[in-house]
Amino acid sequence: MTDMSVGRERHVQAQGAAPLISMRNIHKKFGSLHALRGASLDVHAGEVVALVGDNGAGKSTMVKVMAGAHMATSGEYDFEGKPVKINSPTDANALGIQTVYQDLALCSNLDAVQNLFLGRELTGSGLFGRRIKRAECEVKAREVLSRMRLGNLSLTRPVGAMSGGQRQNIAIARSILWTPKVVILDEPTAALSHSAAEQVGDLIRRLADQGLGIVVVSHDIHNFVVNATDRIEVMRLGANAASFRTGDVTGEQVVNAMVGGNEGVNLAG
Amino acid sequence: MAEAITSAPPLVRRRSIGELLARDLRALPIVIGLVALWIFFATQSDVFLTARNLSNLLVQSTVVGIMALGIMFVLLVKEIDLSVAAINGVTSVFMAKIIVEAGVNPWVAVPLAILLGALIGSLSARWVTYVGVPSFVVTLGLGLALNGLQLILLPATARYSLNGTGLEKIALINISGNGAWLVLAIGVLAFATLVLSEATSRTKAGLETPMMRAVILPVAAAAVFGLIVVSILSAHKGIPLIVLIFGILLGLGGYVLKQTQFGLYLYAVGNNDEAARRSGIKVHQIKMAAFAIAGGVAALAGVIAASRTLGVGVFSGGGVGGGTLLLESIAAAVIGGVSLFGGRGSIHAALLGALVIGTVSNGLNLMGVENEIRLIVTGLLLVLAVSIDKLIEKATGQQSF
Ligand SMILES: Nc1ncnc2c1ncn2[C@@H]1O[C@H](COP(=O)(O)OP(=O)(O)OP(=O)(O)O)[C@@H](O)[C@H]1O
Ligand SMILES: [Mg+2]
Repeated sequence: MTDMSVGRERHVQAQGAAPLISMRNIHKKFGSLHALRGASLDVHAGEVVALVGDNGAGKSTMVKVMAGAHMATSGEYDFEGKPVKINSPTDANALGIQTVYQDLALCSNLDAVQNLFLGRELTGSGLFGRRIKRAECEVKAREVLSRMRLGNLSLTRPVGAMSGGQRQNIAIARSILWTPKVVILDEPTAALSHSAAEQVGDLIRRLADQGLGIVVVSHDIHNFVVNATDRIEVMRLGANAASFRTGDVTGEQVVNAMVGGNEGVNLAG
Repeated sequence: MAEAITSAPPLVRRRSIGELLARDLRALPIVIGLVALWIFFATQSDVFLTARNLSNLLVQSTVVGIMALGIMFVLLVKEIDLSVAAINGVTSVFMAKIIVEAGVNPWVAVPLAILLGALIGSLSARWVTYVGVPSFVVTLGLGLALNGLQLILLPATARYSLNGTGLEKIALINISGNGAWLVLAIGVLAFATLVLSEATSRTKAGLETPMMRAVILPVAAAAVFGLIVVSILSAHKGIPLIVLIFGILLGLGGYVLKQTQFGLYLYAVGNNDEAARRSGIKVHQIKMAAFAIAGGVAALAGVIAASRTLGVGVFSGGGVGGGTLLLESIAAAVIGGVSLFGGRGSIHAALLGALVIGTVSNGLNLMGVENEIRLIVTGLLLVLAVSIDKLIEKATGQQSF
């Protein structure tokens, strides 16, 4: 297999390069419920992969396995070409895999800087526990936000007073604060207006252009998925049903593959 | 298109009145209310605005204020501790018992009482977080149990006198003359150091720091406020030691809440404990610390109360059920702006809330109004304060955080 450094190279667009993440033949059972039945997924650097499927198809389960929130019952998981065992979200974070959950997990009473650093504040010693180095946090926050071209987000307003799109952006900014290699987003546009969803799409694109691998779970096929992603992986009943290059398909074709209505458009393989 | 919008240069945002009210000036309505109360009582009684009475008012407000300060930590993490008054009572009786019966040195007995209070608090937190019983229930039951324990600890006379133990002096000591000014100077200096260190670190980090707004104005305001308070107190007997203790606790509490990681985690846990947990914050430990602080601080308030009443008895800790002490302590925190729903409130809430309650009590007393009326007025004020808060929230569309 290729060596580790390949994954670190920026702007690796070629499908030929070793994927950042390669999950193969993943099974996941919840008791007697067989949620994943041999599902596979590759994530390449610089690429936005959409994971779509009907309700209960296993998308969330798949990304949770990827993020270490669930353990697969069986299957192979390679990171940068090497088999890894991910037992917890912390393991995944350590490898450079970050997740933005649908509920965003923000504290509405805290400002953007506090949310970005929550749990990982830059601190110095002080009276009664560690004292937060607010200034340094703020500088780093500004730097990350301007890299995402979100420089005009207020750093001092509680995020509860911000719009859904701004909150989504802060959650994404938090996931890239510690320079991950892969960012997983579960339903990032579910609660957003059309234009806010478009902006999230742009943001995701910029991250991919910086060399990150992005996985997006989304139900918003017609607007978001067919416009903002590079590859579409369709899941059905816990397994892969189809795989498309985004430019090659229409929303209808994707939806057909999701519900299994028209096997003819299945371009997988 | 969207890029053009998002990459626009940062706007210099003008903050609306609503936003100011919702954040920096959150305390304004309560300050206005307090001033209104003072004007009202000043018109009703010639004595009200005398140095002697204002001094008394402050002293009368300290026990409730300190209790409110402790409870605040628990309210911030979206829990409640209904046993704080009972902790106050039982630890002070315990302290008096070991001093009077076992001859333990007060210098040992007082820290022991505070530790015991913190221990009781952390035990109820453990019960809440590990067994999953709501804190409301755990601390309600615990409070009653502690009331029982308090009665058991008391001797047949139902009272321990602390006369002659030295403890009674805590409530009698006043720092007067130059000492008072020295205390003020130290306080202002400490505050200025903190503010300045913050501003320096911002400048060092390359952030623009308006010296005037970030350093000079706050320090000047603190100095003027301190000057007024110390002048009034000095015109009577000086700074009462227990008021100084309250002041120090306010300073420490403000520092912990605003500057430390622990303080931030209190707000995070109270607002969204699941998000806090996923961020790697040990939610159970934060809650336990909050309860321990409330318990320890309640015990300290118990020591001060015991000193003021020259002893302990059934009445300590507000009597069985916590009496008005429990209700007034929670009310003070809430009137001051601490949310019962977690994650909101600043340290000045304890001071302002306790002053409102203390003012009503003191003023009505001067007017010769019966105690019954005092309770009714305090109760209505609580509802009014929270209502005004809600109305501001509605009118400005700013959610309160
Ligand atoms: N923790 C769990 N315990 C038991 N069953 C689960 C659990 N999580 C998911 N499942 C089941 O696994 C299957 C796949 O669920 P999953 O959440 O992955 O679907 P999904 O594709 O994300 O659906 P949706 O579009 O509705 O979010 C479903 O039948 C679901 O009920
Ligand atoms: Mg899902």
